[in-house]
Amino acid sequence: MKDQIAAYTAKLVADRSAFPGDIAFAAQDDVLLTSGNAALSRLAGDVLSRLSCLALVAARPSLPFADLLVQRSGADETAIVPRDTETRTFLHDIPFLRRADLSEDPAPRIARLLGNRKGVVVEGTGIVAGGAVTVEQAFINYCSVFHATFVKYLQDILHEGFRLPGEAAALRAFRSEWLRPLTAEGLAFRQGTLEEPAEILDEIASVGRYTVERGLVDSFFGNISARSGSLIYISQTAASLDELAGCIDPVPMDNSSTAGITASSELLAHRRIYETTDALVILHGHPKFSVVMSMECSEENCPVTDCWKECPRVRFLGDTPVVAGEIGAGGLARRVPPVIADRGKALVYGHGVFTAGEDFGAAFRTMVAVENWCREEYFRRMEAKTGECFSGGIGCTGQRP
Amino acid sequence: MHGWTGTILRVNLTTGRTGREKLPAALLHAYLGGRGLGVRLVRDCHCLDPFDAGMPLVFAVGPLCGTAAPTAARLTVVSRSPLTGTVTDCSAGGRFAWRLKAAGIDALSIEGMSPHPVVLAISGDTAELLPAASLWGKGVRETVSLLAGRGSIATIGPAGENGVLFANIMMGEGNSVGRGGLGAVMGKKLLKAVVVDGDRQVTVADPQRFDHARQDVMRLFRASPVIFGELGIAAYGTPALVDLMRQRRMAPTENFRKTVFAESGNYSGPAILRECRPKKDGCYGCPIQCKKSTPQGEHLPEYETVSHFGALNGIASLGAIVRSNTLCNELGMDTISAAATLSAWGEWRGRFPGAEEIAEILTDIAHRRGEGERLADGSRRFADAVASPGISMSVKSLELPAYDPRGAYGMALAYCTSNRGGCHLRAYPISHEILRKPVATDRFSFSGKARIIKIAEDTNAAIDSLVACKFSFFGATLEEYAELLTAATGEWYTPQSLKEIGERIYLTERFYNCDNGFTAADDTLPERFFAEPGSSGEGIDIPPIDRERFLEELQKYYRIRGLTEAGLFPAPDFLERQP
Repeated sequence: MKDQIAAYTAKLVADRSAFPGDIAFAAQDDVLLTSGNAALSRLAGDVLSRLSCLALVAARPSLPFADLLVQRSGADETAIVPRDTETRTFLHDIPFLRRADLSEDPAPRIARLLGNRKGVVVEGTGIVAGGAVTVEQAFINYCSVFHATFVKYLQDILHEGFRLPGEAAALRAFRSEWLRPLTAEGLAFRQGTLEEPAEILDEIASVGRYTVERGLVDSFFGNISARSGSLIYISQTAASLDELAGCIDPVPMDNSSTAGITASSELLAHRRIYETTDALVILHGHPKFSVVMSMECSEENCPVTDCWKECPRVRFLGDTPVVAGEIGAGGLARRVPPVIADRGKALVYGHGVFTAGEDFGAAFRTMVAVENWCREEYFRRMEAKTGECFSGGIGCTGQRP
Repeated sequence: MHGWTGTILRVNLTTGRTGREKLPAALLHAYLGGRGLGVRLVRDCHCLDPFDAGMPLVFAVGPLCGTAAPTAARLTVVSRSPLTGTVTDCSAGGRFAWRLKAAGIDALSIEGMSPHPVVLAISGDTAELLPAASLWGKGVRETVSLLAGRGSIATIGPAGENGVLFANIMMGEGNSVGRGGLGAVMGKKLLKAVVVDGDRQVTVADPQRFDHARQDVMRLFRASPVIFGELGIAAYGTPALVDLMRQRRMAPTENFRKTVFAESGNYSGPAILRECRPKKDGCYGCPIQCKKSTPQGEHLPEYETVSHFGALNGIASLGAIVRSNTLCNELGMDTISAAATLSAWGEWRGRFPGAEEIAEILTDIAHRRGEGERLADGSRRFADAVASPGISMSVKSLELPAYDPRGAYGMALAYCTSNRGGCHLRAYPISHEILRKPVATDRFSFSGKARIIKIAEDTNAAIDSLVACKFSFFGATLEEYAELLTAATGEWYTPQSLKEIGERIYLTERFYNCDNGFTAADDTLPERFFAEPGSSGEGIDIPPIDRERFLEELQKYYRIRGLTEAGLFPAPDFLERQP
């Protein structure tokens, strides 16, 4: 368990979702282990010992969005409700504790909330998330809360503007200091058609790692596949894209074997895309600005209320089609294949991006381009809404030029 | 009261008396229903012999039964197993649970022993014992046919009548209360069948909240590759696991001497789809419908059954396997124990039964004829009788299902800590060790497994008390089911509080077992798994299990459970401290 704690602490640092010095894990086997930041470790241990749960992470997120969501919430609100479909499906809502509600020993209250949900936001302290079965699960739940609060905060300020002092400066700092240029530069992709199984598995594992390293997906979300003849090689369900070795299922196109029952929940979508296009590879990630922008719709007086699953339209962000559809057997597999053929890309409402092509280099660059377009468009709209400049570059005074 | 009816129907077969009593709300809140309630209700008689007239046979439903909660219309039967001597619960789908609830009952406790064969008929508020001499000796199908029109049916076949220690109780719809021989307990009481009908509605405290939670569950089902994925159990039934277990090299073959059966493709999910053209079938109130049947209505075997009547006995014929399944259902026998006992017999005599022999020997077992007499007592007693204890692949005398423990170390531990003996469903580590839900764990490592198994046992004890199907939890979690339960009953439940209830239920069962003489010595695997390797190959090594590491993890498990090194309770007053 100590090895796992070290590994997932390193992951939180690498993906920059938590401040390096403000991470703590607790895990219980027949004894309770804690590790990391002293105060957070104490808290993590105190909370975990009250729960029927194997592991817990308490860490301060590297962005203030979760705290800002708490501060922006109404006095009668007790939870953040994510809008993106992935975290909405798995988390339902994220309870929070306000700083003013914290007693000297907040562990009992945090434990009470975590007894009902996978993650909690504790204002001024951070995100506390449990893992019923593994240390990895605690990490995953932390990442899910981080992703959910990231997406919701950006969407909220785009709709409602700033409400609190310092929000504009925080967004400016986020853009200039936290965000990094997103490119495919420096990455090596195999050229041409992949044929040898070992070569295919190796390339999938490499590209999966690239998507995580470049921030196109949080470690455990997303999926990736390549077609070779009558087989689809696809990442397994609940696999971390940066650790795919041994976690890729070869699935016959004709369903003559069910060994791929462990394949990604999006196997059906991948198969339909291969059946209806000339694609040889598919990449699916959850780049955050794409997720945010996919939920922006200018339609007025629309009768559809459950847009994320019911919207029948194909909208466009730039030249990227956007469709609705739930995960797995919930409709996404019906709606993505018809729209991805033309441009090799599609956005799913509140969910993420699919790109397809002849090789992973092309698919990866397409995903980068979609996310960059959405990132730029997001800040363009924010600037238009607030009249402020968020570039943070030299000469940026905060006023839009 | 919402969710529950708050009523138990007690039937004494010795005196012929029936009567309804109120169940205290506090008891229902603390034990939920199904397994938990049943286990609580046998507290005062848990040391009686399984065939003692005073040993009750409890049929219990859960607070979600009768609502629109997905997969929650299940029945649990609880008593003491004549096969294992442990307290045993076993659940089944079908409409019986729903009808029992509609008759206004949370639990039915059948005590005593009838002087002659009877059928218990429950219709609304009335309950009566009907003479059933004419049904005694009949197979399940004919019995169901003769009782048609009286409601849902739970019946035994010849195996239950003849005291086969792995006799099951068959539901009229083809589902079975399959493990632990509770059909033999019913047979000993000379109770051929229970039929039940009713029309009461279950009320839900907060319908809007309930519907919201239900939609959350359904969304998670759709997101689960195991449930609604195109290679999942909704499409192929549980035989979807055949190819996976072959690929993972952990399909028990020839009485667990090997772990790969080269011809398993003959009875895989796709093979069954191709050969049998199955239609969807399944439990009442279940959207998954993983049970499959032929267009003519013949029920098709589940994963455990195809694998054990297939690989475990070296039989490659799908037709023969389907016929074995149908015959077991007709005779009223647990397919896992039946096939595993035949396999032990096959190893002992140096020849596994051929496809052409199976029907005759199964029939002999059910009627305790010839060699069937010895085999009717299960593999462990047979192995003892022939002085070959190593051939019984069982834990606490319950034959192991179709997951070789050398291919999943959490499963190895969980077989041993299971309170009803060698069962895969108590902690169900296959979920994370093989199917990657909720997250993947290393199947060849014991690290962390003691805590994982403990948590899973508690979780599943709660699930068995709701009573929901374990397959739901390939997608949903206790979060959604706690929400359904809260909305249905108006009582506040959380995943944590449900796990605490599950822990109480688990420990109660363990306490009963300890009272009946079970110790750490019973929490172990057959020697084969520590001494012989499985079938390594294709880059996967299947070595014997490291005994030292296994024992170390078992001791960790005891410490986590608060038990002594011998697996016992440190103080004798555990039950007194429970509600």
